[in-house]
Amino acid sequence: MTVQPAGGGAVERPGSTSLADVIDTILDKGLVIDAYVNVSLVGIQILTVDARVVVASVDTYLRFAEATERLSLGDARGQGVPEMVQGALGGSGGQAALDSGDQTFHEEPEPAREKSEADSEEGTPRRFHERD
Amino acid sequence: MTQPAGADHGFYVYGVVPADVEVSPDARGVGDPPSPVDLVRHREIGALVSKVPLDRPLGRPDDLVAHEQLLDATAAEVPVLPIRFGAVLSQAEAVVEELLGPHHDEFAAALKELDGRVEYLVKGRYVEQVVLREVLEENPEAARLREQIVGQSAEATRDLRIQLGEIINQAIAAKREADTRALAERLQPYCLQAAVRPPTHEQDAVQLALLVETDRGPELEEAVQEVAESWAERVTLRVLGPLAPYDFATTSRQG
Repeated sequence: MTVQPAGGGAVERPGSTSLADVIDTILDKGLVIDAYVNVSLVGIQILTVDARVVVASVDTYLRFAEATERLSLGDARGQGVPEMVQGALGGSGGQAALDSGDQTFHEEPEPAREKSEADSEEGTPRRFHERD
Repeated sequence: MTQPAGADHGFYVYGVVPADVEVSPDARGVGDPPSPVDLVRHREIGALVSKVPLDRPLGRPDDLVAHEQLLDATAAEVPVLPIRFGAVLSQAEAVVEELLGPHHDEFAAALKELDGRVEYLVKGRYVEQVVLREVLEENPEAARLREQIVGQSAEATRDLRIQLGEIINQAIAAKREADTRALAERLQPYCLQAAVRPPTHEQDAVQLALLVETDRGPELEEAVQEVAESWAERVTLRVLGPLAPYDFATTSRQG
């Protein structure tokens, strides 16, 4: 759960794409090589990373019910939303919150997550120095 | 050019670009340690490749990030057709003989079409407590079920809880659809195409990929900012980009 600072800018602009975003993007988007190449394709082992498609399950339902039960309905209206949310969730704020939220719902540890926020700008192609 | 292939190495392919692109010598790809990235050219097009050992699996976080960063950094400068993670060919010759040669015209046309265009991704997630409150206010059945479970033991009210959760899940799905449509309409003037991504989390509000003229990126971001402000209490909105056109370079209909 991410909560914006009250009155602050509303759009998050993370410095680099998080690993969860990368997984969603490059594992099932883009051109499929098999459609173009047959003979020389190598079936290299890919460490499988759950593409995290949501399939609602009983666990999801129970979790929603529990979260709903925890809502304090009457008096919460007057509160500012950020305080309210922070209070109830133990105040996990900031950008990391999105990812930690994911982990709650995906019980199997995803090894790829551990080093999220890997940020190596260097080494990307810049265009166009000398070729080697 | 590319190093000769040994039986123990293959050529990892990242994407297809115009042939007049130059790759920076410090560009690094997947693998540990990562190999330099090379461009294998054929007529008007080229493929970004790097050598990888075949006896080790790919897919470490660094591999995934390297793949995307190379493509996104490339897309910021030139058109690129991103290839899905994990494409490895056994020999350098195959890059031309099987990939670039037979599909040259198709790839060249797609690159022309993508020239000056990049992808942006707008992702939103509901603020849980706010969206749950909305559901309870809008759905009397949900409110009634909630009253029945409050303070009761989870075991004794398991069936009611499942019913309630299912209603909430459906209600959020309906909100997702409506909010996604509203966002797509709002951003339509700034993009050439939009593609809705399916949710990857049950509280996802929206995942919308947009193909945008590179010059209009700032305008788009401004529009997203306005939406984010109007949604601030209920949805946390993020914008990613410029990215390679992952959602718009598809195999059946290119580019």
